Amino acid sequence: MFRIRFHGRGGQGMKTAANLLSRAFFLEGYEIQDAPRYGSERRGAPIFAYVRADREPILERGAITRPDLILVADDSLIHNPSAGVLQNVNSRTVLLIHSEVPGEVWKDRLQFPGTIIGLPLSAVARSGAQIPVVSASCTGAAAGLVGVIRRETLEPALREELTRLGESVIAQNLETALSAYDAMQPYAGCVKEGGALSAEDYAPPDWIEIPYEDSTISAPVIYRTATSEQIQTGLWRTRRPLIDYSHCNRCSWVCSTFCPDSAIHVDPDRTPHIDYEHCKGCMICLAVCPPHAIYMEKEQPAPIEGGAR
Amino acid sequence: MRRTLLTGNGAAAWGARLAEADYVPAFPITPQTEIIEALAGWSERGEMAGRVVTLDSEHSMLTAAAAAAATGVRVFTATSSQGLLYGMEMIYTAPGWRAPFVMVNVSRALASPITLEADHNDILAARDSGFLQIHCATCQEVLDSVLMAYRLAEHPQVRLPAIVNLDGFYLSFTREPVVIPDQEQVRRFLPPFDPGNVAFRADRPASQAALVLGGSLYSYFRYEAHLATLQALTAYEEVAQAFEREMGRRYPAVEAYRAEDAEYIFFLMGAYATKAKDAVNRLRERGMRIGVVRPRLLRPYPARILQELLRGRRAVAVIDQNLSMGMGGILYSELASALYGMKDAPMLVSYIGGLGGRDISTEELFTMAAQTREAADAGVTPEPRLLYTAAELREVRKMQTIAGSKLPGHMEGKNDE
Amino acid sequence: MSEGTIKSMKNLPQEHILGEGTSLCAGCGGLGALHQIYDLLGEKTVIVNAAGCMTSLAIYPYTPFRGSWLYTAMASAASGAQGIRDALDVLIAQGRLPTEDDLTVIALAGDGSSYGMGLSATSAAIERNLDFLYICYDNEGYGNTGQQFSAATPWGARTTTSRGGHHGKKKDLFAIWAAHHPVYAATVIGAEPLDLARKVEKAIRLRGPRLILAMAPCPTGWGYDPQETVEIGRLAVRCGIWPLKEYEEGRLTHTRIPQPRIPVEEYLQKQSRFRHLFKPERNAEAIAHIQAEVDRYWSNVA
Repeated sequence: MFRIRFHGRGGQGMKTAANLLSRAFFLEGYEIQDAPRYGSERRGAPIFAYVRADREPILERGAITRPDLILVADDSLIHNPSAGVLQNVNSRTVLLIHSEVPGEVWKDRLQFPGTIIGLPLSAVARSGAQIPVVSASCTGAAAGLVGVIRRETLEPALREELTRLGESVIAQNLETALSAYDAMQPYAGCVKEGGALSAEDYAPPDWIEIPYEDSTISAPVIYRTATSEQIQTGLWRTRRPLIDYSHCNRCSWVCSTFCPDSAIHVDPDRTPHIDYEHCKGCMICLAVCPPHAIYMEKEQPAPIEGGAR
Repeated sequence: MRRTLLTGNGAAAWGARLAEADYVPAFPITPQTEIIEALAGWSERGEMAGRVVTLDSEHSMLTAAAAAAATGVRVFTATSSQGLLYGMEMIYTAPGWRAPFVMVNVSRALASPITLEADHNDILAARDSGFLQIHCATCQEVLDSVLMAYRLAEHPQVRLPAIVNLDGFYLSFTREPVVIPDQEQVRRFLPPFDPGNVAFRADRPASQAALVLGGSLYSYFRYEAHLATLQALTAYEEVAQAFEREMGRRYPAVEAYRAEDAEYIFFLMGAYATKAKDAVNRLRERGMRIGVVRPRLLRPYPARILQELLRGRRAVAVIDQNLSMGMGGILYSELASALYGMKDAPMLVSYIGGLGGRDISTEELFTMAAQTREAADAGVTPEPRLLYTAAELREVRKMQTIAGSKLPGHMEGKNDE
Repeated sequence: MSEGTIKSMKNLPQEHILGEGTSLCAGCGGLGALHQIYDLLGEKTVIVNAAGCMTSLAIYPYTPFRGSWLYTAMASAASGAQGIRDALDVLIAQGRLPTEDDLTVIALAGDGSSYGMGLSATSAAIERNLDFLYICYDNEGYGNTGQQFSAATPWGARTTTSRGGHHGKKKDLFAIWAAHHPVYAATVIGAEPLDLARKVEKAIRLRGPRLILAMAPCPTGWGYDPQETVEIGRLAVRCGIWPLKEYEEGRLTHTRIPQPRIPVEEYLQKQSRFRHLFKPERNAEAIAHIQAEVDRYWSNVA
């Protein structure tokens, strides 16, 4: 069975990517299972979707814990712990990251046990292409890597899944998917089907009896305030607002009042500061700043530390 | 302390008054309305300090009740039947807040068809909610159980809301002699509500009942509420003993009547239990060794006590005043699960009766006893039986004819008049 | 009635106390209004939250609040507010809570709850003269489930359950509230912070049922780039589709009369929920209908 995970952000079309790939498998005669998984997080927050494909009817359920292939929509997700990109990876796992940074560099940085392939989105999508095209790239790359989906299967798969989006969107996605498929030909077939879990050689669960506990701790009550500040919603960001202090007129209120996330603080001397740990990158501050003192940069991946977790 | 005449509804209202409930969110519904009318009257006349507020629905009423309890005051409320179902979202929500309060449910059968008289399908719909449940058989027991329910619900090891159940009409509108304890006596038994650290205060801000994501957190909180419910089994004994010390009346979690040497048992809950006791007295005169076992505490389910009480009996007639469509009696299936696999478990014979307030006659109780003995002798468990007579069906046929139902010729009701 | 303290932008709160790190969408217009309101309300508050987008403000063990909060259910935030208000009153009357430790009780609900499922409970709370502040964030659809139409969805808007444009007519919640003769009701929008702050400040000082009805532009549900949340809100006010007004002591006052009103299509065409009115071809009739409704509203404003 192929067990494949797609990691992206709400709005990047990871559910669509999974749908497209599973349709392609299906057209090749596979039994498939696909599903998205999201919490309450919204646009910009990490989500994942998964696909299982097998020649036999699929009995497994739920999230994939032994991935054969992981596709990542953008490299800023790698070090976002809540994205869980690297969860349960093993030496058989192939990891494809949409990144300008080459795969070997990632493998070295992450001390990743399996294969890593870097695929710059710019290599497969026309400039000016809409963001959701990354989903088509994920699909095309996955189809190329598994080695059992023919190139000509991608078109009917995309057509069946994307009919309602219209011809121009389908064409754009197809072009991207085919480019990604072609780009993966040097690695075609490097993703191998994983076997079934052994009923003999496995790690048994460390079940415990949970004890009775007083209602003062065993009720869903949060006794501390503003604990949400421990959540780094800055990791959702794909665009970064920056303040050009030479143009900032120290109005003291516009950007900080309009920031919906309370993520712009103003010093007593009226200098605003953006809290990048929490700024979600909505860019409202950029839009409202009267002297246009806020500009935008594409978010760069966070500095890399440590290995796979 | 004085002995007077009270209906079940009156006894429930006195229970709330003596518990010195601070707050009573209310909504009228037959056959419960008298309870809130009595409390509203006392509150208006200053005879009771508690504040009575009529809400716009049972859903709102239960939300207000739980929210007030979560703010740290003692709350009483009451409902019945359709009202209980209308509030069901909050019935399931409130226990998770771990904010204790007491609600009286006056059992009334559920629509459809809509009707007024008692059966237990309403209260059993709340069975899996996390509310504790105490079921009463007499008006005295209603008053006493409200007081006990507060002490149990507020017990530091429990801290869950509790329902005290009484049957519509058979208790709600039925007067019996009831001892009303003195306020001082009640205060000795029931100390003021201590909300602990679950309460909204300016110096202790808290976010209560927060969303959880992921099955691990959810499982933990839900299972802890289950464990707290189980704690109520032990806490109940403590409460019952304290109540007996103060008031002189003893209410075990499961009442056993003339059961010590009994070969046969009537197993049922609610007001009909006293009729079963009467039948037992008559049957014993005829030499049958039979008794009554009646769970007062239904949640937590007193499985171990039931196992002890029923081990070694020949057979038990389980009388369910409820009906789980496509399954049968709910008490029957719960008891079967408690006794399954137990050595010397008795045979269980299932009867469904008393739906929508239909009487269960003493003759029927005699017949159930006889059938149960025969079944035990033959060693064959009979099919579940609905208590329903040919005369009743004949009456139904007449009404179907009046309603214009096209009955096949042999079914047509003859109009005797 | 004494004058408020908020006269200009300079008087707006400088400190923003609603915690960062909530899981609400980037650019959320509801959160944009709520954080401004919360800055004025402060910490001695208890918010009773109905099911909706704001449910996920507090996800155990993370809360953005510095005061208290209680999650209830979709239909009964106002009833939860009743229970808490009554309980606080009982505690104060019994001397168990010092008056200075009293809390302001707030119901927080979206349009799905406020215009629909929770309306009966809210109506009853106003009728009981409950002392509470009701905040509705109106994103004109069931936003938390992906923007299906609600009783607050405007005519013509595309939602996931009205692909061809909504056929219903948005309820007038402000008028429904005003018909109950509450002590105060106001419409606000996060894009107009001074107007919002003045109204919230006034609402805080009053006792009784009070409504702050905030239009909440929703990038996810309405279909626009999150950075345009404020711009869309300003357009809503300038084209007159979201009148800023207040009801007080039986009097209705418009706090901003857009003069001149820009054409409503300048507001509509920025949102993909109205794109079908412009592409593939312009639906002049529908646009004119929406414009006529807005014009009719303002023709009745003296």
